[in-house]
Amino acid sequence: MSSPLNIAIIVTGPSYGRQDALSAYHYAQAALVAGHTIQRVFFYNDGVLNASFLSAPAADEFDLHAAWRALAIKHQFGLDICASAALRRGIVDAGEAERLSLPHFNLEYPFQLTGLGQLAESLVTADRVVQF
Amino acid sequence: MHGIAFITRQAPHGSAAARETQDAILATSALTEDLSVFFIGDGVFQLLKNQAPKQIGSRNFAATFKLFDLYDIENIYVCQDSLLERGIDGTQLLIDVTCLSQVEMNAKIRMHAKILNL
Repeated sequence: MSSPLNIAIIVTGPSYGRQDALSAYHYAQAALVAGHTIQRVFFYNDGVLNASFLSAPAADEFDLHAAWRALAIKHQFGLDICASAALRRGIVDAGEAERLSLPHFNLEYPFQLTGLGQLAESLVTADRVVQF
Repeated sequence: MHGIAFITRQAPHGSAAARETQDAILATSALTEDLSVFFIGDGVFQLLKNQAPKQIGSRNFAATFKLFDLYDIENIYVCQDSLLERGIDGTQLLIDVTCLSQVEMNAKIRMHAKILNL
């Protein structure tokens, strides 16, 4: 096998309605099986919608939110949500909900609100950046 | 090999893609000067002067392109073919850019290690 790579994945598609995020998840699985490490998954644009634990797919359908959560905990990589993109789309954690006096939150660990600095860091430091 | 290429191909309004690409470029410029920006297709509309997007409830982020110089974002390339197809000439653009043919753009983009196309 070629030497393991440190891979950053950028997701710009929502958790349901488009294939982008599903493809990103399958890619992440395959990369891990091949022995690579995931530096982080950075969710931007409509990708931030993957973070909502209030999404409720039908019982016989694939639950991408839950799948991201399980994969990230098992393999210890971050699910980084761009905070500015998230807040505009109604994705908030408990702290932001309190700060902004919003009645609910819908983002919790292992998803976390971060900034575009995380994206920039991946662009500079990851061996590969793969965008979906 | 160059560092990071941002390709932006969406019109400024109608989706958030262009505006969020601009945000990503500015954030990345804080960590590295080794980045280039490529305006292709409808992306060239982002650079037009005299936009009035508030009338459609959209943010006027075009003014922020003037900060690119301040952020040392200097490698800014615009597809000449895309300008011609849309009847735009260089005097209508907000900032100084380098115009390249589609072939030259492609060659330039391939010289970058990482390419983001948000």
